[in-house]
Amino acid sequence: MNLLGVQTLFVKEVRRFLRVPGQTLLSPLITTSLYFLVFGWSLGSRIQEVDGVPYARFILPGLIVLGVVTNAYLNSASSLFVMKLQGTVVDLLVSPLSYAEILGAFVAAAVARGMLVGGIMWIVGALFTGFGVAHPVLALLLLVAVAAGFAALGFMTATWAGSFEQVNFLPTFVVTPLTFLGGVFYSASMAPPALRWLTRSNPIYYLVETLRWSVTGRADAPPEAGFAVATVLAAGALLAAYGLLRSGWRLRG
Amino acid sequence: MPGPVVRLRGVSKRYGGFTALDRVDLDVDQGEILALLGPNGAGKTTLISIVAGLVRASAGEASVLGRDVVRDYRFTRRAVGLVPQEVNFDPFFSVEETLHFQAGYFGVRLGADRLEEILQALELTEKRHANTRSLSGGMKRRLLIGKALVHEPRVLFLDEPTAGVDVRLRQQLWAYVRRLRARGTTVVLTTHYLEEAEALADRVAVIDRGRILLVEGKDRLLERQGGKTLRISLTAPIASLPGALLALGARLEDGGGAIDVDAPPGGSFGPALAALAEAGLPVGDVETRRARLEDVFVSILGGDAGKEAQ
Repeated sequence: MNLLGVQTLFVKEVRRFLRVPGQTLLSPLITTSLYFLVFGWSLGSRIQEVDGVPYARFILPGLIVLGVVTNAYLNSASSLFVMKLQGTVVDLLVSPLSYAEILGAFVAAAVARGMLVGGIMWIVGALFTGFGVAHPVLALLLLVAVAAGFAALGFMTATWAGSFEQVNFLPTFVVTPLTFLGGVFYSASMAPPALRWLTRSNPIYYLVETLRWSVTGRADAPPEAGFAVATVLAAGALLAAYGLLRSGWRLRG
Repeated sequence: MPGPVVRLRGVSKRYGGFTALDRVDLDVDQGEILALLGPNGAGKTTLISIVAGLVRASAGEASVLGRDVVRDYRFTRRAVGLVPQEVNFDPFFSVEETLHFQAGYFGVRLGADRLEEILQALELTEKRHANTRSLSGGMKRRLLIGKALVHEPRVLFLDEPTAGVDVRLRQQLWAYVRRLRARGTTVVLTTHYLEEAEALADRVAVIDRGRILLVEGKDRLLERQGGKTLRISLTAPIASLPGALLALGARLEDGGGAIDVDAPPGGSFGPALAALAEAGLPVGDVETRRARLEDVFVSILGGDAGKEAQ
C-alpha cells in the first residue's frame, strides 16, 4: 500500500478546504445558524415541544444532517471537478496510487469537512439547547457513514459532470428538498397523512430520526432504520464510486 | 546488454471507429533521448499516455523496465515521469507545496536538497512560495517539468515541453534534459520543433496516423536520407548551363546568378566542381547546405502520403 501517497492526498484535500474557510466552513455555519435562530429560537418559543423534546433541540439533528451531507458531498465533488477542469487530475492518474487509495483519501477528507461543519453546528446549537447527547458514539458512527456515502456520491457526480451546474444539481434539487421533507422541522406523526406518507418514504427521514434519537434519546422512527439506510448508502455509494473510478470512465482514455 | 527501458509490442488504441494507434512496436533504450515526431493527431500523445498510465491500450502490451504497465502499474509509474502537453496548475497551492504533494503521491518524501536542485534547475527558486496561479505561462510549464522529476524517474516523457517557452529558456531546458540524460535518465520527447529533436535526440521515431514509419539514429538518418546541396554564386549571371553541369542535374537560380547542384546521401560534389572548372564560369562564392531533420521528416511523411494515395 502507498501509505504516504494516501496521506499526502488526504492532507492536500483537507488543506484545500481550509484555504477557503469562508466558503467551506463559515458559509454553512452561518446558513444553518440562521435556520436554527429563525425556526428554533423565534418559532420554537411558540411550538414549545415536539414528541416531548424542546423545539430548538428537536430541529438541531436535522440541521446537522443537512450540513454534514452537503459539505461531504461538495468537498469531493468540487475538488475532483476542479482537478478535471484544471487538468491536475493527471497528477493522480500517473501516480502509483491505486483506485481504492485515491477514493479513500478523497472520501476521508470529505468526511473530515462534513464532521467539522457538523461539529461546529452542534456546538452553536448546543449553546442554545444544552450539550447533552444520549448516544454520542452512535451519533458519530451514523454521521461518518452518511458523510462517506455522500462523499462517494459527490465523487461520482464530479466524474460525470461537465459543468458546475451539474455538480450542484444533487445538493440543490435532491438533498435539500429531501432533507426539508425528511422531518427536520416537523414530526412525521404530527404531519397530515399525505405529508406523513411522503416523509416516511424518504430515506433521509430515517437518517434525521436516528440522529435525533442519538442526540435526544427520542425519535419518530426506529433507530435501526437510520443505521440500515446509512450502511446501505455508504456501502453502495463507495462500491459504485470505486467501480466507476476503476472503469476509467471520463477520467482515463 | 540490458533490455529496453520501454517496450511496446502490437499496441493499438481505438476510440470507436477511429484508430489512434495501430499495432505499434517500439523499444526505447537505456539512457537515450528518443524524439517522437509526427504531425498533429499522429498518435504521439496517445502512445506516451499509454506508457504513463493515462490511457489504456485497446490491444498489445506496453512495459517499462520489463514490467507490464497495467499489471505492475505501481512499479512502472514510479519509474516514469510525464510532462503533459496541457499546462495544469492547482490554484490553491504554492510551487513548493505542489512539488511536495506530487512527490508524496509517488510515496517519496521530497528532501530539501532535491527540492532546491529542481527549483534551481527550473529557475523557480524565487517563486517557491508563490501561488501557482500567479506564475507566467513559461513558469507553469517549468513547474510541470519539476513535478515530473520529483520522484527521480528512470524514464521521462516530455510531451511538447517547450511549446510557448521563449528561446533563452528553451536553451536552458535543453541543457537540463542533456544533464538528465548524462545521469542515466532515459528521455522520450514529442515535439513540433524539429530543431528541438535535432538538437537533443539520439534517435528519432516518426509516427503518422497511428503507425510508426521509421525508428533510426538521428545522425544515421540524416546521413542516409539527408542529401547535400552545393550553391555556386556567380559574379556575373549566365543565360544557360553548360551541358556537363546539366547532365549532373544542376539548376540555374537567382535569374542566372547562381547554380544549385544536389548530391545524394553519401555522394560528393567532385564531378560538379570539375565540370564547373572545365566550363570556366565566373565563380564568386561556393557553399554547401546539409539537409536538416525537417527536410527528412517532410520527405518521410510525403513518401508515406504518396504510398497511401496510390
